[in-house]
Amino acid sequence: MLTVYGRANSINVRKVLWMLDEVGEPFDRQDWGRGYRPTSEPDFMRLSIFGVVPIIDDGGFVLRESQTIVRYLANKHSRHDLYPADLKARAQTESWMDWASTDLYAAARPVFHAMIVNAKDPTTAVAPADGVADWAKHMKRLDQQLTNEGPFLMGAAFTIADIPAGMVVNRWFALKFDKPELPAVAGYYDRLAERRAFRTHGRNGTP
Amino acid sequence: MLTIWGRKTSINVQKVMWAVEELGLAHERIDAGGPFGKTDTADYGKLNPNRLVPVIDDKGFILWESNACARYLANTYGLGTLAPSGPEDRARCDQWMDWSITTLYPDVVPSLFVSFVRVTAADRDMAKVNAAAKRAGENLALLDAQLAGHDYILGNTLTMADIAVGTLLYRYNTMPIERPKLPNAEAYYQRLSARKAYQTHVMIDWQSMKIPGA
Ligand SMILES: N[C@@H](CCC(=O)N[C@@H](CS)C(=O)NCC(=O)O)C(=O)O
Ligand SMILES: N[C@@H](CCC(=O)N[C@@H](CS)C(=O)NCC(=O)O)C(=O)O
Repeated sequence: MLTVYGRANSINVRKVLWMLDEVGEPFDRQDWGRGYRPTSEPDFMRLSIFGVVPIIDDGGFVLRESQTIVRYLANKHSRHDLYPADLKARAQTESWMDWASTDLYAAARPVFHAMIVNAKDPTTAVAPADGVADWAKHMKRLDQQLTNEGPFLMGAAFTIADIPAGMVVNRWFALKFDKPELPAVAGYYDRLAERRAFRTHGRNGTP
Repeated sequence: MLTIWGRKTSINVQKVMWAVEELGLAHERIDAGGPFGKTDTADYGKLNPNRLVPVIDDKGFILWESNACARYLANTYGLGTLAPSGPEDRARCDQWMDWSITTLYPDVVPSLFVSFVRVTAADRDMAKVNAAAKRAGENLALLDAQLAGHDYILGNTLTMADIAVGTLLYRYNTMPIERPKLPNAEAYYQRLSARKAYQTHVMIDWQSMKIPGA
Protein backbone atom coordinates (compact mmCIF):
# COMPACT_ATOMS: atom_id res chain seq x y z
CA MET A 1 0.00 0.00 0.00
CA LEU A 2 1.12 3.53 -0.74
CA THR A 3 2.52 5.30 2.30
CA VAL A 4 2.56 9.06 2.82
CA TYR A 5 5.21 10.40 5.15
CA GLY A 6 4.23 13.75 6.62
CA ARG A 7 2.13 15.56 9.20
CA ALA A 8 -1.46 16.20 8.11
CA ASN A 9 -1.28 19.91 9.05
CA SER A 10 1.37 20.75 6.43
CA ILE A 11 0.04 22.55 3.38
CA ASN A 12 2.19 20.44 1.07
CA VAL A 13 1.16 17.16 2.66
CA ARG A 14 -2.49 18.25 2.41
CA LYS A 15 -2.22 18.65 -1.37
CA VAL A 16 -1.19 15.00 -1.62
CA LEU A 17 -3.91 13.77 0.78
CA TRP A 18 -6.51 15.74 -1.16
CA MET A 19 -5.35 14.13 -4.40
CA LEU A 20 -5.27 10.63 -2.95
CA ASP A 21 -8.90 11.03 -1.97
CA GLU A 22 -9.81 12.46 -5.38
CA VAL A 23 -8.44 9.38 -7.11
CA GLY A 24 -9.66 7.02 -4.37
CA GLU A 25 -6.29 5.44 -3.70
CA PRO A 26 -6.06 3.77 -0.28
CA PHE A 27 -2.99 4.79 1.72
CA ASP A 28 -1.25 4.73 5.06
CA ARG A 29 0.10 7.92 6.55
CA GLN A 30 2.84 8.41 9.10
CA ASP A 31 3.27 11.65 11.04
CA TRP A 32 6.66 13.17 10.33
CA GLY A 33 7.97 16.72 10.47
CA ARG A 34 7.71 19.73 12.72
CA GLY A 35 5.92 18.79 15.95
CA TYR A 36 6.18 15.06 15.21
CA ARG A 37 9.09 12.70 14.53
CA PRO A 38 11.90 14.82 13.09
CA THR A 39 12.76 14.11 9.47
CA SER A 40 16.42 14.00 10.50
CA GLU A 41 15.85 10.50 11.94
CA PRO A 42 17.47 7.65 9.99
CA ASP A 43 14.10 6.06 9.13
CA PHE A 44 13.19 9.16 7.16
CA MET A 45 16.65 9.98 5.81
CA ARG A 46 16.91 6.49 4.37
CA LEU A 47 13.97 7.36 2.10
CA SER A 48 14.84 11.01 1.43
CA ILE A 49 17.83 13.04 2.49
CA PHE A 50 15.87 16.19 1.72
CA GLY A 51 14.24 16.17 5.14
CA VAL A 52 10.98 17.75 4.03
CA VAL A 53 7.46 16.39 3.90
CA PRO A 54 5.58 15.05 2.02
CA ILE A 55 7.21 12.03 0.49
CA ILE A 56 5.43 8.95 -0.75
CA ASP A 57 6.59 5.36 -1.02
CA ASP A 58 4.53 3.60 -3.65
CA GLY A 59 5.65 -0.01 -3.63
CA GLY A 60 9.29 1.00 -3.38
CA PHE A 61 9.06 4.00 -5.69
CA VAL A 62 9.89 6.96 -3.45
CA LEU A 63 8.88 10.40 -4.59
CA ARG A 64 9.08 13.86 -3.04
CA GLU A 65 7.69 17.31 -3.95
CA SER A 66 3.97 17.66 -3.34
CA GLN A 67 3.01 18.78 -6.85
CA THR A 68 5.15 16.15 -8.51
CA ILE A 69 3.32 13.58 -6.40
CA VAL A 70 -0.07 15.02 -7.37
CA ARG A 71 0.80 14.76 -11.07
CA TYR A 72 2.23 11.27 -10.61
CA LEU A 73 -1.03 10.12 -9.02
CA ALA A 74 -3.09 11.62 -11.84
CA ASN A 75 -0.93 9.78 -14.38
CA LYS A 76 -0.99 6.55 -12.41
CA HIS A 77 -4.79 6.53 -12.39
CA SER A 78 -5.05 7.84 -15.98
CA ARG A 79 -7.21 10.68 -14.72
CA HIS A 80 -7.11 12.82 -17.85
CA ASP A 81 -10.16 14.65 -16.55
CA LEU A 82 -7.94 15.96 -13.74
CA TYR A 83 -4.69 16.28 -15.72
CA PRO A 84 -5.35 16.64 -19.46
CA ALA A 85 -3.58 14.29 -21.86
CA ASP A 86 -3.37 17.01 -24.51
CA LEU A 87 0.10 18.52 -24.06
CA LYS A 88 -1.09 22.11 -24.36
CA ALA A 89 -3.88 21.85 -21.80
CA ARG A 90 -1.52 19.82 -19.65
CA ALA A 91 1.08 22.59 -19.73
CA GLN A 92 -1.51 25.23 -18.82
CA THR A 93 -2.57 23.10 -15.86
CA GLU A 94 1.07 22.97 -14.78
CA SER A 95 1.51 26.71 -15.19
CA TRP A 96 -1.24 27.35 -12.63
CA MET A 97 0.29 24.81 -10.28
CA ASP A 98 3.72 26.41 -10.62
CA TRP A 99 2.31 29.89 -10.18
CA ALA A 100 0.39 28.88 -7.05
CA SER A 101 3.43 27.24 -5.45
CA THR A 102 5.86 30.04 -6.31
CA ASP A 103 4.50 33.55 -6.80
CA LEU A 104 1.17 33.11 -4.98
CA TYR A 105 2.59 30.99 -2.16
CA ALA A 106 5.54 33.34 -1.66
CA ALA A 107 3.08 36.23 -1.32
CA ALA A 108 1.06 34.35 1.31
CA ARG A 109 4.10 33.39 3.33
CA PRO A 110 4.89 36.58 5.29
CA VAL A 111 1.32 36.81 6.59
CA PHE A 112 1.20 33.12 7.50
CA HIS A 113 4.54 33.35 9.23
CA ALA A 114 3.55 36.42 11.23
CA MET A 115 0.18 35.00 12.24
CA ILE A 116 1.00 31.33 12.82
CA VAL A 117 4.59 30.13 12.52
CA ASN A 118 6.30 32.94 14.42
CA ALA A 119 3.31 34.13 16.49
CA LYS A 120 3.66 33.88 20.27
CA ASP A 121 -0.12 33.75 20.51
CA PRO A 122 -1.89 33.00 17.19
CA THR A 123 -5.24 34.16 18.62
CA THR A 124 -4.04 37.75 18.92
CA ALA A 125 -1.40 37.86 16.14
CA VAL A 126 -1.81 40.73 13.66
CA ALA A 127 -1.26 40.46 9.92
CA PRO A 128 1.49 42.77 8.57
CA ALA A 129 -0.10 45.39 6.27
CA ASP A 130 2.49 45.19 3.48
CA GLY A 131 2.25 41.41 3.50
CA VAL A 132 -1.54 41.57 3.20
CA ALA A 133 -1.29 44.05 0.31
CA ASP A 134 1.07 41.84 -1.67
CA TRP A 135 -0.95 38.70 -1.03
CA ALA A 136 -4.15 40.53 -2.00
CA LYS A 137 -2.56 41.61 -5.28
CA HIS A 138 -1.93 37.97 -6.17
CA MET A 139 -5.38 36.91 -4.98
CA LYS A 140 -6.87 39.54 -7.31
CA ARG A 141 -5.05 37.85 -10.15
CA LEU A 142 -6.76 34.62 -9.18
CA ASP A 143 -10.09 36.42 -8.94
CA GLN A 144 -9.58 37.81 -12.45
CA GLN A 145 -8.83 34.37 -13.89
CA LEU A 146 -11.85 32.80 -12.17
CA THR A 147 -14.08 35.64 -13.34
CA ASN A 148 -12.93 35.45 -16.95
CA GLU A 149 -12.30 31.74 -17.40
CA GLY A 150 -13.88 30.06 -14.35
CA PRO A 151 -15.56 28.64 -12.46
CA PHE A 152 -12.34 26.56 -12.05
CA LEU A 153 -8.81 27.59 -13.03
CA MET A 154 -8.87 25.48 -16.19
CA GLY A 155 -12.46 26.39 -16.99
CA ALA A 156 -15.59 24.32 -16.59
CA ALA A 157 -14.25 21.44 -14.53
CA PHE A 158 -12.07 20.80 -11.51
CA THR A 159 -8.48 19.78 -12.31
CA ILE A 160 -5.25 19.42 -10.38
CA ALA A 161 -4.58 23.08 -11.22
CA ASP A 162 -7.06 23.81 -8.43
CA ILE A 163 -5.20 21.86 -5.74
CA PRO A 164 -2.24 24.18 -4.99
CA ALA A 165 -4.37 27.31 -5.50
CA GLY A 166 -7.18 25.84 -3.42
CA MET A 167 -4.84 25.32 -0.50
CA VAL A 168 -3.73 28.95 -0.59
CA VAL A 169 -7.36 30.11 -0.91
CA ASN A 170 -8.17 28.10 2.20
CA ARG A 171 -5.32 29.80 4.02
CA TRP A 172 -6.58 33.22 2.90
CA PHE A 173 -10.04 32.65 4.34
CA ALA A 174 -8.97 30.66 7.40
CA LEU A 175 -6.66 33.41 8.68
CA LYS A 176 -8.47 36.31 10.35
CA PHE A 177 -7.51 39.70 8.92
CA ASP A 178 -9.23 42.43 6.89
CA LYS A 179 -9.38 41.38 3.27
CA PRO A 180 -10.64 42.96 0.10
CA GLU A 181 -13.82 41.46 -1.36
CA LEU A 182 -12.96 38.93 -4.06
CA PRO A 183 -16.30 37.54 -5.17
CA ALA A 184 -14.99 34.99 -7.68
CA VAL A 185 -12.47 33.64 -5.15
CA ALA A 186 -15.19 33.42 -2.48
CA GLY A 187 -17.41 31.49 -4.89
CA TYR A 188 -14.48 29.23 -5.77
CA TYR A 189 -13.85 28.46 -2.10
CA ASP A 190 -17.45 27.31 -1.73
CA ARG A 191 -17.37 25.39 -5.01
CA LEU A 192 -14.25 23.50 -3.90
CA ALA A 193 -15.98 22.73 -0.60
CA GLU A 194 -18.57 20.73 -2.53
CA ARG A 195 -15.79 18.15 -2.78
CA ARG A 196 -15.44 15.88 0.20
CA ALA A 197 -11.67 15.59 -0.30
CA PHE A 198 -11.28 19.35 0.01
CA ARG A 199 -13.46 19.52 3.11
CA THR A 200 -11.36 16.76 4.70
CA HIS A 201 -7.88 17.98 3.85
CA GLY A 202 -8.28 21.59 2.73
CA ARG A 203 -11.16 23.50 4.27
CA ASN A 204 -10.92 21.73 7.60
CA GLY A 205 -10.25 24.62 9.95
CA THR A 206 -6.46 24.58 9.56
CA PRO A 207 -5.05 27.59 7.67
CA MET B 1 7.21 29.71 -35.58
CA LEU B 2 7.99 29.69 -31.88
CA THR B 3 8.26 33.09 -30.20
CA ILE B 4 9.76 33.66 -26.77
CA TRP B 5 9.03 36.92 -25.02
CA GLY B 6 11.59 38.11 -22.53
CA ARG B 7 14.95 39.77 -22.06
CA LYS B 8 17.90 37.40 -22.24
CA THR B 9 19.17 38.53 -18.82
CA SER B 10 16.15 37.07 -17.02
CA ILE B 11 16.94 33.74 -15.40
CA ASN B 12 13.50 32.39 -16.20
CA VAL B 13 13.88 33.34 -19.86
CA GLN B 14 17.34 31.74 -19.86
CA LYS B 15 15.83 28.43 -18.79
CA VAL B 16 13.45 28.42 -21.74
CA MET B 17 16.07 29.59 -24.24
CA TRP B 18 18.49 26.90 -23.14
CA ALA B 19 15.76 24.28 -23.73
CA VAL B 20 14.92 25.82 -27.12
CA GLU B 21 18.51 25.57 -28.25
CA GLU B 22 19.06 22.04 -26.93
CA LEU B 23 15.96 21.02 -28.87
CA GLY B 24 17.19 22.86 -31.97
CA LEU B 25 13.90 24.72 -32.48
CA ALA B 26 13.57 27.54 -35.00
CA HIS B 27 12.46 30.55 -32.99
CA GLU B 28 12.49 34.26 -32.46
CA ARG B 29 13.02 35.98 -29.10
CA ILE B 30 11.50 39.37 -28.44
CA ASP B 31 13.06 41.56 -25.75
CA ALA B 32 10.58 42.44 -23.02
CA GLY B 33 10.74 43.21 -19.32
CA GLY B 34 13.31 45.16 -17.34
CA PRO B 35 14.77 48.04 -19.40
CA PHE B 36 12.80 46.92 -22.47
CA GLY B 37 9.41 47.42 -20.79
CA LYS B 38 6.45 46.26 -22.94
CA THR B 39 5.09 44.07 -20.15
CA ASP B 40 2.73 46.87 -19.04
CA THR B 41 0.97 47.15 -22.39
CA ALA B 42 -2.58 45.91 -22.97
CA ASP B 43 -1.34 43.46 -25.60
CA TYR B 44 1.18 41.94 -23.21
CA GLY B 45 -1.51 41.65 -20.55
CA LYS B 46 -3.37 39.38 -22.96
CA LEU B 47 -0.30 37.16 -23.34
CA ASN B 48 0.45 37.04 -19.63
CA PRO B 49 -1.80 38.83 -17.15
CA ASN B 50 0.97 38.34 -14.56
CA ARG B 51 3.05 40.75 -16.67
CA LEU B 52 6.20 38.71 -16.19
CA VAL B 53 8.67 37.09 -18.58
CA PRO B 54 8.99 34.54 -20.11
CA VAL B 55 5.97 33.85 -22.25
CA ILE B 56 6.08 31.49 -25.22
CA ASP B 57 3.86 31.58 -28.28
CA ASP B 58 4.06 28.28 -30.17
CA LYS B 59 2.01 28.84 -33.33
CA GLY B 60 -0.70 30.60 -31.35
CA PHE B 61 -0.43 28.52 -28.18
CA ILE B 62 0.45 30.92 -25.37
CA LEU B 63 2.10 29.74 -22.16
CA TRP B 64 3.80 31.37 -19.16
CA GLU B 65 5.71 30.01 -16.15
CA SER B 66 9.22 29.02 -17.09
CA ASN B 67 9.12 25.42 -15.84
CA ALA B 68 5.80 24.77 -17.55
CA CYS B 69 7.26 26.25 -20.77
CA ALA B 70 10.42 24.15 -20.61
CA ARG B 71 8.42 21.02 -19.85
CA TYR B 72 5.94 21.70 -22.66
CA LEU B 73 8.74 22.15 -25.18
CA ALA B 74 10.51 19.03 -23.95
CA ASN B 75 7.34 16.92 -24.02
CA THR B 76 6.35 18.21 -27.45
CA TYR B 77 9.70 18.28 -29.22
CA GLY B 78 12.06 16.27 -27.06
CA LEU B 79 10.36 13.07 -25.98
CA GLY B 80 13.14 10.61 -25.25
CA THR B 81 15.77 13.32 -24.96
CA LEU B 82 15.00 16.29 -22.66
CA ALA B 83 11.79 14.52 -21.57
CA PRO B 84 12.37 10.94 -20.44
CA SER B 85 9.73 8.54 -21.71
CA GLY B 86 8.95 6.32 -18.70
CA PRO B 87 6.43 7.53 -16.09
CA GLU B 88 8.81 7.06 -13.17
CA ASP B 89 11.62 8.97 -14.83
CA ARG B 90 9.14 11.71 -15.75
CA ALA B 91 8.17 11.96 -12.10
CA ARG B 92 11.84 12.02 -11.11
CA CYS B 93 12.41 14.90 -13.54
CA ASP B 94 9.39 16.67 -12.12
CA GLN B 95 10.57 16.45 -8.55
CA TRP B 96 13.84 18.18 -9.39
CA MET B 97 12.04 20.80 -11.44
CA ASP B 98 9.61 21.54 -8.62
CA TRP B 99 12.46 21.57 -6.13
CA SER B 100 14.35 24.10 -8.24
CA ILE B 101 11.49 26.61 -8.26
CA THR B 102 10.19 26.13 -4.73
CA THR B 103 13.37 25.49 -2.75
CA LEU B 104 16.51 26.59 -4.57
CA TYR B 105 15.19 29.61 -6.47
CA PRO B 106 13.90 31.66 -3.49
CA ASP B 107 17.40 31.78 -1.98
CA VAL B 108 19.42 32.12 -5.17
CA VAL B 109 17.30 34.71 -6.96
CA PRO B 110 15.09 36.90 -4.72
CA SER B 111 17.39 36.73 -1.68
CA LEU B 112 20.90 36.60 -3.16
CA PHE B 113 20.85 37.83 -6.73
CA VAL B 114 18.43 40.68 -6.14
CA SER B 115 20.47 41.76 -3.11
CA PHE B 116 23.63 42.03 -5.21
CA VAL B 117 22.01 43.66 -8.22
CA ARG B 118 19.10 45.80 -7.05
CA VAL B 119 20.32 46.89 -3.60
CA THR B 120 23.23 49.22 -2.92
CA ALA B 121 26.14 47.84 -0.95
CA ALA B 122 25.27 50.31 1.82
CA ASP B 123 21.69 49.05 2.12
CA ARG B 124 22.40 45.37 1.57
CA ASP B 125 21.13 43.14 4.37
CA MET B 126 24.17 40.95 4.86
CA ALA B 127 22.49 38.78 7.50
CA LYS B 128 19.86 37.87 4.91
CA VAL B 129 22.52 37.32 2.24
CA ASN B 130 24.57 35.05 4.46
CA ALA B 131 21.57 33.03 5.59
CA ALA B 132 20.43 32.53 2.00
CA ALA B 133 23.94 31.57 0.87
CA LYS B 134 24.15 29.03 3.67
CA ARG B 135 20.77 27.48 2.82
CA ALA B 136 21.58 27.41 -0.89
CA GLY B 137 24.85 25.61 -0.12
CA GLU B 138 22.99 23.08 2.04
CA ASN B 139 20.45 22.49 -0.70
CA LEU B 140 23.14 22.09 -3.33
CA ALA B 141 24.74 19.43 -1.13
CA LEU B 142 21.61 17.39 -1.93
CA LEU B 143 22.24 17.90 -5.62
CA ASP B 144 25.87 16.93 -5.05
CA ALA B 145 24.72 13.64 -3.49
CA GLN B 146 22.36 12.98 -6.38
CA LEU B 147 25.15 13.50 -8.91
CA ALA B 148 27.46 10.86 -7.42
CA GLY B 149 28.35 8.36 -10.12
CA HIS B 150 26.67 10.03 -13.09
CA ASP B 151 26.98 13.11 -15.22
CA TYR B 152 23.46 14.51 -15.08
CA ILE B 153 20.65 14.54 -12.55
CA LEU B 154 18.75 11.54 -13.85
CA GLY B 155 21.64 9.63 -15.29
CA ASN B 156 23.98 10.09 -18.19
CA THR B 157 21.93 12.34 -20.45
CA LEU B 158 20.76 15.92 -20.12
CA THR B 159 17.06 16.26 -19.27
CA MET B 160 14.70 19.09 -18.43
CA ALA B 161 15.57 18.54 -14.76
CA ASP B 162 19.12 19.71 -15.55
CA ILE B 163 17.77 22.73 -17.36
CA ALA B 164 15.62 23.86 -14.44
CA VAL B 165 18.31 23.29 -11.80
CA GLY B 166 21.34 24.11 -13.94
CA THR B 167 20.12 27.57 -14.89
CA LEU B 168 20.42 28.60 -11.24
CA LEU B 169 24.02 27.43 -10.98
CA TYR B 170 25.53 30.22 -13.05
CA ARG B 171 24.02 32.86 -10.78
CA TYR B 172 25.00 30.89 -7.68
CA ASN B 173 28.59 30.37 -8.81
CA THR B 174 29.20 33.94 -9.94
CA MET B 175 28.02 35.77 -6.83
CA PRO B 176 30.44 36.97 -4.14
CA ILE B 177 29.33 34.46 -1.50
CA GLU B 178 30.88 31.62 0.43
CA ARG B 179 30.29 28.26 -1.20
CA PRO B 180 30.84 24.86 0.42
CA LYS B 181 33.10 22.41 -1.42
CA LEU B 182 30.82 20.13 -3.43
CA PRO B 183 32.94 18.15 -5.89
CA ASN B 184 30.11 16.50 -7.85
CA ALA B 185 28.10 19.68 -8.17
CA GLU B 186 31.22 21.59 -9.17
CA ALA B 187 32.11 19.04 -11.88
CA TYR B 188 28.50 19.18 -13.05
CA TYR B 189 28.61 22.96 -13.33
CA GLN B 190 31.82 22.64 -15.40
CA ARG B 191 30.11 20.05 -17.58
CA LEU B 192 27.15 22.35 -18.20
CA SER B 193 29.52 25.25 -18.85
CA ALA B 194 31.09 23.27 -21.69
CA ARG B 195 27.75 23.14 -23.55
CA LYS B 196 27.31 25.75 -26.19
CA ALA B 197 23.63 26.30 -25.37
CA TYR B 198 24.50 26.97 -21.73
CA GLN B 199 27.26 29.38 -22.68
CA THR B 200 25.02 31.26 -25.07
CA HIS B 201 21.85 31.50 -23.01
CA VAL B 202 22.78 31.14 -19.36
CA MET B 203 26.35 32.37 -18.90
CA ILE B 204 25.37 35.97 -19.48
CA ASP B 205 27.37 38.42 -17.43
CA TRP B 206 25.06 40.25 -15.05
CA GLN B 207 27.40 42.99 -13.79
CA SER B 208 25.78 45.54 -16.10
CA MET B 209 22.38 44.87 -14.46
CA LYS B 210 23.59 46.35 -11.18
CA ILE B 211 22.06 49.61 -10.01
CA PRO B 212 24.59 52.37 -9.14
CA GLY B 213 26.20 51.59 -5.79
CA ALA B 214 25.32 47.90 -5.86
N1 LIG C 1 8.41 22.07 -2.39
C1 LIG C 1 8.17 21.08 -1.35
C2 LIG C 1 8.21 21.78 -0.03
C3 LIG C 1 8.12 20.84 1.12
C4 LIG C 1 8.15 21.56 2.46
O1 LIG C 1 8.65 22.67 2.59
N2 LIG C 1 7.60 20.92 3.49
C5 LIG C 1 7.55 21.51 4.81
C6 LIG C 1 6.15 21.41 5.38
S1 LIG C 1 4.95 22.30 4.47
C7 LIG C 1 8.46 20.74 5.75
O2 LIG C 1 8.79 19.60 5.51
N3 LIG C 1 8.89 21.37 6.83
C8 LIG C 1 9.74 20.73 7.78
C9 LIG C 1 9.02 19.88 8.78
O3 LIG C 1 7.78 19.85 8.82
O4 LIG C 1 9.76 19.21 9.55
C10 LIG C 1 6.85 20.39 -1.61
O5 LIG C 1 5.96 21.01 -2.22
O6 LIG C 1 6.69 19.23 -1.23
N1 LIG D 1 7.41 31.96 -11.73
C1 LIG D 1 7.69 32.73 -12.92
C2 LIG D 1 8.49 33.98 -12.54
C3 LIG D 1 8.73 34.90 -13.67
C4 LIG D 1 9.50 36.14 -13.23
O1 LIG D 1 9.57 36.46 -12.03
N2 LIG D 1 10.09 36.83 -14.20
C5 LIG D 1 10.86 38.04 -13.92
C6 LIG D 1 12.21 37.99 -14.59
S1 LIG D 1 13.20 36.65 -14.04
C7 LIG D 1 10.14 39.26 -14.49
O2 LIG D 1 9.34 39.14 -15.41
N3 LIG D 1 10.43 40.44 -13.94
C8 LIG D 1 9.88 41.67 -14.45
C9 LIG D 1 10.64 42.16 -15.65
O3 LIG D 1 11.64 41.57 -16.06
O4 LIG D 1 10.20 43.20 -16.17
C10 LIG D 1 8.47 31.88 -13.95
O5 LIG D 1 9.20 30.97 -13.54
O6 LIG D 1 8.33 32.11 -15.15
